[in-house]
Formats: sequence, C-alpha cells, structure tokens
Amino acid sequence: MRDRPPPTTTGPGLSRRAFLGRAAVLAASGLAAGACSYVGPGFSGTTHSSRTLTYWNLLGGGDGVRMQTMQAAYAKANPTVDLRPVTLTWGNPYYTKLSMATIGGQPPDVAIAHLTRLQALVPGGLLQTIEDADLDRHDMHPDDFVGTAWRQAHFDGKLYAIPIDTHPFVLYYNTDVAKKAGLLGDDGALAPIDDPDALVDALERAKRVTGGWGAAFSSTNDFATVWRLFYTLYSQLGGKVLEAGRVVLDDAKAEQVTTLMRRLTVDSQVAPAAMDYGGAVALFASGKAGFFLQGDWELPTFKDAKLPFDMRPFPTVFGQAATQADSHALVLPRLDRPDPERTDLALGFAKSLLDQSLTWAEGGHIPTWLPAQRSADYRRLKPQSNYVSVAEQVVYDPPAWYSGSGSSLEIEAGGAFGSVMGGRRSPAEGVARFRTGLDRLSSAPSPV
Amino acid sequence: MATTQQASGVAIPRVATHRPRVSPLRRDLPGIALAMPFLVLYVLFLIVPILYGALMSLFDTSLVRPGLSSFVGLANYRELFNTPGFWSSLWHTVLFTLLSTPPLVILALALALFASRVARGRWFFRLAYFAPYVLPVSTVVLIWNWMYQPETGLVDTYLGKLGIGPVGWLSDPKVAMVSIVILTVWWTLGFNFILYLAGIQEIPRQLYEAAALDGAGPWAQMRRITIPLLGRTTTLVAVLQVIASLKVFDQIYLLTEGGPDFSTQPAVQFIYESGFTSYRVGYASAASMVLFVVILSVSLIWFGLVRRQEKGV
Amino acid sequence: MAVTAPTTSVRPAPSLDRGDWRTTLFNRVAVGVLIALALLWLVPLAWAVDTAIKPEAETTVVPLTWVPKAPTLDAFRQVINAGDLLHWYVNSAVTAILITATTVLVASMAAFALSRRSFRGHNLLFWFILAGIMVPIQALIVPLFREFNSVGLVNTYWAVILPQIPTPIAVFVFKQFFDGIPHELEDAAVVDGASRFRIYWRIWMPLSRPAISAVAIFTFVWAWNFFLWPFIVLTGTRVMTIPVGLATVQSAYGIHYAQIMASAILGGLPLLVVFLLFQRRIVEGIAGTGLKY
Repeated sequence: MRDRPPPTTTGPGLSRRAFLGRAAVLAASGLAAGACSYVGPGFSGTTHSSRTLTYWNLLGGGDGVRMQTMQAAYAKANPTVDLRPVTLTWGNPYYTKLSMATIGGQPPDVAIAHLTRLQALVPGGLLQTIEDADLDRHDMHPDDFVGTAWRQAHFDGKLYAIPIDTHPFVLYYNTDVAKKAGLLGDDGALAPIDDPDALVDALERAKRVTGGWGAAFSSTNDFATVWRLFYTLYSQLGGKVLEAGRVVLDDAKAEQVTTLMRRLTVDSQVAPAAMDYGGAVALFASGKAGFFLQGDWELPTFKDAKLPFDMRPFPTVFGQAATQADSHALVLPRLDRPDPERTDLALGFAKSLLDQSLTWAEGGHIPTWLPAQRSADYRRLKPQSNYVSVAEQVVYDPPAWYSGSGSSLEIEAGGAFGSVMGGRRSPAEGVARFRTGLDRLSSAPSPV
Repeated sequence: MATTQQASGVAIPRVATHRPRVSPLRRDLPGIALAMPFLVLYVLFLIVPILYGALMSLFDTSLVRPGLSSFVGLANYRELFNTPGFWSSLWHTVLFTLLSTPPLVILALALALFASRVARGRWFFRLAYFAPYVLPVSTVVLIWNWMYQPETGLVDTYLGKLGIGPVGWLSDPKVAMVSIVILTVWWTLGFNFILYLAGIQEIPRQLYEAAALDGAGPWAQMRRITIPLLGRTTTLVAVLQVIASLKVFDQIYLLTEGGPDFSTQPAVQFIYESGFTSYRVGYASAASMVLFVVILSVSLIWFGLVRRQEKGV
Repeated sequence: MAVTAPTTSVRPAPSLDRGDWRTTLFNRVAVGVLIALALLWLVPLAWAVDTAIKPEAETTVVPLTWVPKAPTLDAFRQVINAGDLLHWYVNSAVTAILITATTVLVASMAAFALSRRSFRGHNLLFWFILAGIMVPIQALIVPLFREFNSVGLVNTYWAVILPQIPTPIAVFVFKQFFDGIPHELEDAAVVDGASRFRIYWRIWMPLSRPAISAVAIFTFVWAWNFFLWPFIVLTGTRVMTIPVGLATVQSAYGIHYAQIMASAILGGLPLLVVFLLFQRRIVEGIAGTGLKY
C-alpha cells in the first residue's frame, strides 16, 4: 500500500531507499550542472556573450535565401563571431516582437527595419543613434549612401539606421507582348507613357495581344500593393497626406488618382478587379498579362521562369516624377546599458552586408550603397540597372507613428482604395473612407 | 474511550484529551500559512493585473513610456465604442462562437452516443478523436495551413475530385472563418467527446435494462434515458465551449492573422494589436475590460444555469 | 465536476440488445459512422507525416500523391540542425514541469486549509478564489506584461511560470476531493502533535492520488501547449517554448513544406508520446475535472 509511512533508516549501512535517493540526487545535480548553461539563461534573463551577434530580419522567400548567402559570407570572414540570425513574419508581427524585445531589455544586437517604420521606433525610444565616429571606424560615410534614403534614416539630425537598399514600386513588362503591341520605342525599351490616357491605351493594347489582361495587379488581401499604386500616383500630382501630424489630404487630387485606379479595373478592365498577390505574380509569369505593377522584388521569380521581361520606373502619368518606395535598413535596438562592443560588432556586420550589395541587388533591390550602385558590375545587371534612376526620386510613406510598411495607414488605404478598384465604392467614396480612417488614426493620442 | 481507525492500514488509537487553550489567531495561523503561497500568487497575478488594467484604461498609457501617462477618464472607452474595428472584432468572436459551438457540442454528443454502443475498440476512437487535442496550436495551424493551400493543398484537391470548385479557404473573406471553425472542430472535438463518454458511463445500467425489458430499442433508449440524463453534462460542455470560444485568439492569429482584410480578427487580437503593436496600453486595457465584462456575464449565466440545474435534479 | 475513482469502461452487455434487425442495423451504422469519422480525423496528421518524409520537390507536385517516391528523413534532420528546436523542447519541459509541480503543491495546500475550515473567513476566501475562474487571462495580458516588465523579468522562465500557477480550478478540484475524506483521520494526527503541514503532507496527499493525477495531467498538458501569454512575454528565440517558437520563427529558406511539416510534427511529438503512454490517465484526468481555462 502506498500510504504506509516511509521506513526510517534501519541499522548499519544505507537502506536501499536512501541509497537510491542519494544516487538520484547525484545524477540530478550532474544533469543540472550541465543543463544549467542550457536553461540558466531562461531563469536569469539571457546572458550575452561578447562574441554573439543576434540578428533579426523579416526576409523570407528569395530575399531570405540571398540574405542567408550574405550571412554565410560574413560568418566565414568572422569565424570568432557567433552569428545568430532569426527570421520573423513580415509586417506588424515583426515590429511588434522587435519593440517588445527592446522594451523588455533583451533585444537583438542588430535588426532589419523599413526606413518608414523608424517613425514609430525612434520616438518610442527603441533605437540607438549611430554616431559619426562609429561610422568612420567602419569606413562608412554619408556620401556613400543614396541621398533620399540617407535623409530618411535621420531624425532630428541624428542617424538611426544604415540603409542597405531601396525597393520602389516599378513597372514590369513582358518584352514580347510589348513588341507585338507596338509599345516599344526605337531603342527597344518601353516608349514613354506620359499621361493617364497613354497608360490605359498601352494596357489595352497589351490586353489585346495577351488575350488575358493588360496588367496583373493584386488588390485582394493586399493592402500594401493598393497603397503603393495610390501613393505613387498621388505623389506625382504633388499631393501630401500628412504634414506635421495633421491630415492634409487633397481630396481633389486623391479623387483624380482613385478615378484612374478604377479606370484600370472597372472601366477599361485592363487589370483584374479581384486578384491576390500570388495570382498576380502567376498571371504575369505565365504571359497572360503584359504588365505587372509591383515592387522590385519579384525580379528573381520572373528570371527563374525564363520570362522575357524588363523593368522600368513607374511611368510619370501625372505632373512630377515620383515613385512610392521603402528601404531596408539595419538598426541597433536600444540597450538598457550602452555596450560599445556590441555596437561595434553590429556595425561590422552592417558593413559586411553593404559590401555584398551586389549579391543583394540580384534580388531586384536598388543598393543604397553608392560604391556598389555606381559600379560597373551593377550597371551590367539587367534589368536592375534600368530603374536605378528612381532611387533619388522616391517618396516614403507619410510621417506618422501609425504609418510605414505594413502599418495601419497602409491598411486603411488598402481597404478604402481596394474597394474602389473592386468596383464596390466610387472614387469619391473611397477617398472619403480613407479620410475617415486617417482622421481616426491621427486623432488618437500618440503613444510615442 | 479508545477507538481504532483502519485508514491507511495503520491503527491510530484515539484518546480523549483536551487541547491547551490557544488564541484564535494562533489556531488560524497554520491554516493561513498553508493557503498563503496560493493566495500570494493569486493576488499578484490575477487580482493585481485586473485592477491595474482597470486603472490603465483610464489613462493614455503607452508601452514605450514608463508610468501611467495622462489621465483621460473615459476617453478610451468613448473612442473604443466609436471604432468600427472594435465592434467588428467583437462580432468576429461572437460569429466564431456561434459557428463552432453547435458542431463541437452536438457532433461530440452523437459520436459519444455511438461509441457507447461499441463493445470493443473504443480506445481507437478515443485515440483518433482526442489525439489532436494534445497538439499545440502552432502544429495544428501549420498542418491546416498546408492543407488549405490553393492547388497543392489536400482540401481543395479532394473537393475538386467531388466537383466542388477551388475555395479560397484562406484568401476569401467569406470563407476564412469557416476554415478556422473546421480546424477548431478537428482540434478540440475530442475533449467534449471524452466529457460526454464519461457522462454516459455514469448512467446506471439498470435504467437500460429496465428499458430493454420494456422493449425499447437503442434509439429509444438514447432518446429517453441517455440524452435526458446527460442534461447536466451537456450544459457543462456547452457553456465551457462558449466561454472558451469567446477567448479565441491563437488559431485565428496564426492561420489568418485576423485577415483576409480583417474579416476574422477576434476581440483578443484587437486588444493585442492595440496594446503591443500600436503601443497603446491604456486603450488596449479599456478593450480588455470590455471583453472581461462580456466573458464575466456569460460565466455568471453559467453559474446561474448550473445552480438551477443542481436544484432541479 | 467531482473527481471520482477511475471506473472501468462500461460495455453494453449483450442482454440490453434485443438482437433484432433494428438494433443490429443501428449498431452497424454507429460503428460505420465512428470508423469513417475516425479515419477522417486521422487524415491531417497522416498527411503531415507523409509530407514530412517526402523530398522537398515532391511536396508541391500537382496533382498531389500520397506515396513518396523517395522517402527521406532529411526534412527532420534539417529542422533539428537549423534552429532552436532543441532549446524549445527544454524550455517547454522545464516550464511545464515546474508549473505542474508547483500548482499541485500550492493548490492542494490551499484546498486543504479550506477544506479543513482551518481558519476564520475560509468560506469567504474560497469564494474569492472561485471567482477567479471567471477572470480570463486573455483580459490580463496587457497589465501582466507591464508588471513583469517593471521588474525586468520579461523573456524569462519566471514570466511564463508564475502567472500559470494560481489556478482556481485546481483548488476547487482538490477541495472537492478533500471534502470527501473523513475528519477522523486528521483529528487523531492532531492529537499526536502533528503540525497542519505534516498532516497535509503525510496523510492527505498520499490519499489523494486521483486528484493529484487529474490536476497534474490537465495542468501539464495546458502548460505545455499554452500559447498566448508565452507568445507575448518571450521575445528571445532561445527561451521560447515549443508553441511559441514554432509560430514565431519563420524558415528563412522560403516555403519548404517538408521542413514545415517536420517541424510541426516534432513540435507535437512530446505530448503525443505522453498521450499514447498515459492515454487512460489523461482521459480520466481531463474527464474528471472539466478543464483549466
């Protein structure tokens, strides 16, 4: 019976129970000692060895593979460093985790961040400044970076990020389809498209050739793409969305843009009114659409599909040249106590990535590291070098804590304008809807 | 007088004594000491948070700022009630509850009734239906995300063989919630199944024997004996199910992240995004309080129901 | 929701069936439906295993096939080598075991004190604790995070373990059980001069195996699989538990379903094994108590 009181130690020598007991304790403590280093950090809060470099990013897919290659090169060149890369889910989940890790006092040493997201991270006190002296030590100078990105990485005159690329919204086109549609100029490249009518006309011609669609475009489940198109066109009209925290949306200009957007899907039907991201990619890759409107990162997909295609800056159909874009950059999350060694390690890693900009550029992004961007090797990269001119004329998302890649502002826009493209709202209604969302976001007390 | 006690196989002589007089407090102390560890943890991690949350809901507390920040009174609540996103998230939670509770209660009952008619092999059914329950939500979502993929996914492939067109399980806002419910039923049905089986086992055999003598067949036996006597279990299962559903977060966040286009975002995710993504802790606390009141009300209704049933029995 | 002693499975004795065709038909239909649904229920796990043992290229073949042409364990190997899965196993084990042991101890102590009505106000305290059943942790995530952050315990085991220990239902289950044990046992021991704690530890706990078993089992399963709170408070990949790690860390290699399925299976394996070994106990434990959250 279990419930008999345990035997007290009997006479000389250990009772079997006591012996087993002691053996168990010894074994357990041996195990515990070994396990201590394994689980110790879990109890005490992660201890950080001086040669560990934790690196967070949100790069999956092809970008992720390329980043792996670059990481491996760094690891090879720095065998004493224990590089620990972690990839998290793109968008809000990534930034939420990054913020919470920093707030909790155990952030990664270095992390990727979109430049547009700095507007929440910096006022929130989550990032370290990067000093000129540190930059110098690692052979990085302001003149070596693309101006627009470099400026975007500053707040109140201080630097918070090291940009590694700019990825703009571009126009992909199938060269065979374009040729058959008579859209190519004498130089074999796409003839300039200067106004909305020309754009629609070009897409209509492409549609006739493909028998499917003029342009592949994703508006289902894809607020980001919808936002990028809107913001590109709206910026070309010189419109601004936010200024010093106030909503300065120009309804007339916005409506001009939404009217054009609706024209593409509903009126002229040159682009699908309901298609998701993957579907749009597949559509263009299979040749059933002559054009594709998206960020530059799908370049490898189409190269792998052996599609005859080219990429150009998004045509300036309104007023001034402008393109929506964002940049990946490396940031140093704030530590409770400054640690120059960690900072140094992180900057060394950043420099390594910059030095490998060409590898990164193969994924379609424009390097912001000018030595790479201006190199002959990069100029030889086609079609990348066909849209590199865009880098200095990009427009970043409006300045607000709720703005940036994957943010609430983009989500509001995607919802409002996506419904316009889907034919569920009129252009004016779409703008009104966006304005309502903007008002709500901007009137909420800022948490940073 | 001495009596012996046969418990624990040891005879304990009982002798009448009188205890030395001790103060009531000293007598209480050992008991209080025993209850103290639980009480301390309970207060620290259940009571204090709820009070702290209530407090923060009156301020515009931020995740990135220390302290409570400025007092805003009921402004958070006012903003909350004027935010369509909050009401939709509440609705999504309710919709999830409405869609998932009937299958989880009724199907589990039906299967348990069937299983009770089976002589051997019950272990197999218990295994098949209950095994998913011990899986973590991440595993379940990874598997179902894979099955719900367009073209390469298992579900669409087999539905296609039945002639049912491709369904945007994860991409169609009209279908996404159903995808989540199906996943949830697969994952948690076994739990209710077990509860019902246990309830059925407690029904005395004599009732069945008597009914059999009266010539009642299996269906009649179920209708007249099993199901009515399972009333208490059914109430328990149903209310537990409803309360659990109101707290839903994990599988929705992991499978669709509240999408597509926010069509599935539950209330708990609204709290999560407000507080941790947008840093607005005070605002998120207000939302938490509202959710708490909703769940509390349902739980109180449960207590009321169960008490009424106990009295009635 | 009383915890009762385990019952043997009841088999409907043959004498309850009239042996006529209607009964037989009913039984056949019942078994048929049960088997069909059970097989259906097994499909997702079977498909996951099937995918995991395929070479990556075979996983996305359209139309899909069940039989792998070249089955391999590569995906499992890659998953184990690539990331922190082993760390997650350890983290889950440590936290779940500590939570379970402490919960059983602390809840049973409190329940004992309450059951024996060993201090004034015990009734009030009992209702106070019971009221906690209605407080969902989902409404507490924001203040709890602030609490742990203010003492610098974010991203530690403590943050995961401590809030999961005070479980009103565990107290309730133990109290129910203790209420059913006769008083005489205690009175005699008190006479012997035993302290309350000794009585609790030496006499009551050994008698309470069914209750301990039930509470330990549902606490362990729950603690192991708990997602929401650990997801919020664990930010470093080395300290994450299995559910959190699987959900947070993305494969940087792109979407490789064999590896994804392998990681999913490895993530579910520990509890599946525990379940297969202790099926009976687990089922009884959970059936006897209802649930935790």
